[in-house]
Amino acid sequence: MLLGLVLIVIALLGAPLFAVIAAGALWGFHDSEVDLSVIGIEIYRITEIPALQALPLFTFAGYLLGEANTPKRLVALTDALLGWMPGGLAFVALTACAFFTAFTGASGVTIIALGALLYPALKQAGYPENFNLGLITTSGSLGLLFAPSLPLILYGIIAQQLELPRQLSIDDLFIAGILPGILMLVLLTGWSLWVNRKRHRPLSDFSLARIGAAARDAIWELPIPFIVLGGIYGGFLAVTEAAAATAIYVLIVEVFVYREISLRKLPVIMRDSMILVGAIIIILVVSLASTNYLIDANVPMLLFETIKQYVSSKFTFLILLNIFLLILGAMLDIFSALMIMVPLLIPVALGYGIDPIHLGIIFLANMQIGYFTPPVGMNLFIASYRFQKPVMQLYVATLPFFFILLAAVLIITYWPALSLVLLG
Amino acid sequence: MFGERQRPKTPRWARVLARIEDGVLVLLLSLMIGLAGAQILLRNIFQTGFTDAESVLRLLVLWVGLLGAMAATRGYKHISINVITRLLKPRAAVIAYAVVDLFVLLVCLFVTYYSARFVMMEFESGSRAFGRMPAWLAESIIPFAFGVIALRYAYSLVCNLTQCFRDWKAG
Repeated sequence: MLLGLVLIVIALLGAPLFAVIAAGALWGFHDSEVDLSVIGIEIYRITEIPALQALPLFTFAGYLLGEANTPKRLVALTDALLGWMPGGLAFVALTACAFFTAFTGASGVTIIALGALLYPALKQAGYPENFNLGLITTSGSLGLLFAPSLPLILYGIIAQQLELPRQLSIDDLFIAGILPGILMLVLLTGWSLWVNRKRHRPLSDFSLARIGAAARDAIWELPIPFIVLGGIYGGFLAVTEAAAATAIYVLIVEVFVYREISLRKLPVIMRDSMILVGAIIIILVVSLASTNYLIDANVPMLLFETIKQYVSSKFTFLILLNIFLLILGAMLDIFSALMIMVPLLIPVALGYGIDPIHLGIIFLANMQIGYFTPPVGMNLFIASYRFQKPVMQLYVATLPFFFILLAAVLIITYWPALSLVLLG
Repeated sequence: MFGERQRPKTPRWARVLARIEDGVLVLLLSLMIGLAGAQILLRNIFQTGFTDAESVLRLLVLWVGLLGAMAATRGYKHISINVITRLLKPRAAVIAYAVVDLFVLLVCLFVTYYSARFVMMEFESGSRAFGRMPAWLAESIIPFAFGVIALRYAYSLVCNLTQCFRDWKAG
């Protein structure tokens, strides 16, 4: 108990989470008189996890796309396709961001790469400043529910490590995320149209020539979604194969076809992308040890028994789950939250009869809001830094978007069919 | 979140080590991409594949991941919750950082020592990870990576303590 408090204080002081978790695991093993050399065995267990290659491969591809002029071409193409509609630019921003985040993970890169293009464009089109800031900041985590987002993959990988009544596949998660993700897009677009209902002037006219030109510019990048989505949803490629194919294709296109990334710069991008992967993997390996200890000590069941005493209905549990996840999402980044909480939450949720796939979608949808929940949501700071605006202004600007996505999260939580219907 | 700490000036040994790490990291990631790509071609076109390719790829994830984690240590880019230190005055922050550094150093030393013992046991037993790959060699990255991270935090701790001492002397 005392150790738990000390570890929480150390974590709040800013200690890397991997060290905090490792300390907990070491202490747990020491306490149950297990030889501490087991830590080596536990860490090495990561090599038993299938599909994990997808993580470095997709991250690398995402970093390449972020470094090349892909964001610019993506915005130009979406603009040509959708910009003629009333409120079109807001729709453009939402769609382009969702798409980009799905591919690059919500590491803030969307705000940096796409925000730089969309923010001035929105301003020029006459949208109010706070609307623009709120829209871009919110969009930075939109798309987490669409394939091949890294948090979706990671949730699947972690869930597969647990004993479930029915084996969960990452492909199922990809399918389950489609409708909830679209719901978020639709609600946000609706809000944007409502706010800007007096601004009827569309940004540009519908022009086949413009669409053609934008598509020609992006011709080499257009196949990427088909490799990933077609490959996975169509069942041609396993997730790891889709990741490898994407990484290789993006590498060839950006380095040798568009020539926007020089061979000299390539090792730097490789290293930078692997720093993110390393930061995740090192938490994952020590979590394997701590989770194993927690399961041996029967903690998830004890947790369930305790909660069960106070919370009898599934409905109340889901409300508490939402509140808990919102706070968690504002405090912790999505990757550590997944690795620390999912092994504990799944057994409890199963006890209440919640489908693990549905739980995954609830979890990520909550975390998505956590990215811009005051006071410490990461994207608030990234946007504040990027657009040189006080964080307070961003709190205010994102508020309406927060409530809209909260409504989406509630719908997703209490209407399981939305996530599960496509799975049949 | 991702590191916002100022890093101390890097000494020569650290720069050389960093270059070697980066080189190996880039090499292994390239190997992973190449092998995964070759595997798709072989499986889908020729209905064959390298034996043990899957095992090699999984091992590469561990190596690339831990090398990435070593690199993350250089710029304080590990995932952490920076709530309190953001609010502290610079002087108090230096002390908080020193506590954090000491904590991480100790934890990493423990992991290094005990995982090294595990690797030694594997060496003595002569077991194989897969194919002809000796298990101890595959696992050796674990104590190595945690050792290097410990080394970096030890250096960071020394720099922080020096700073504390200077602050204290300056009143």
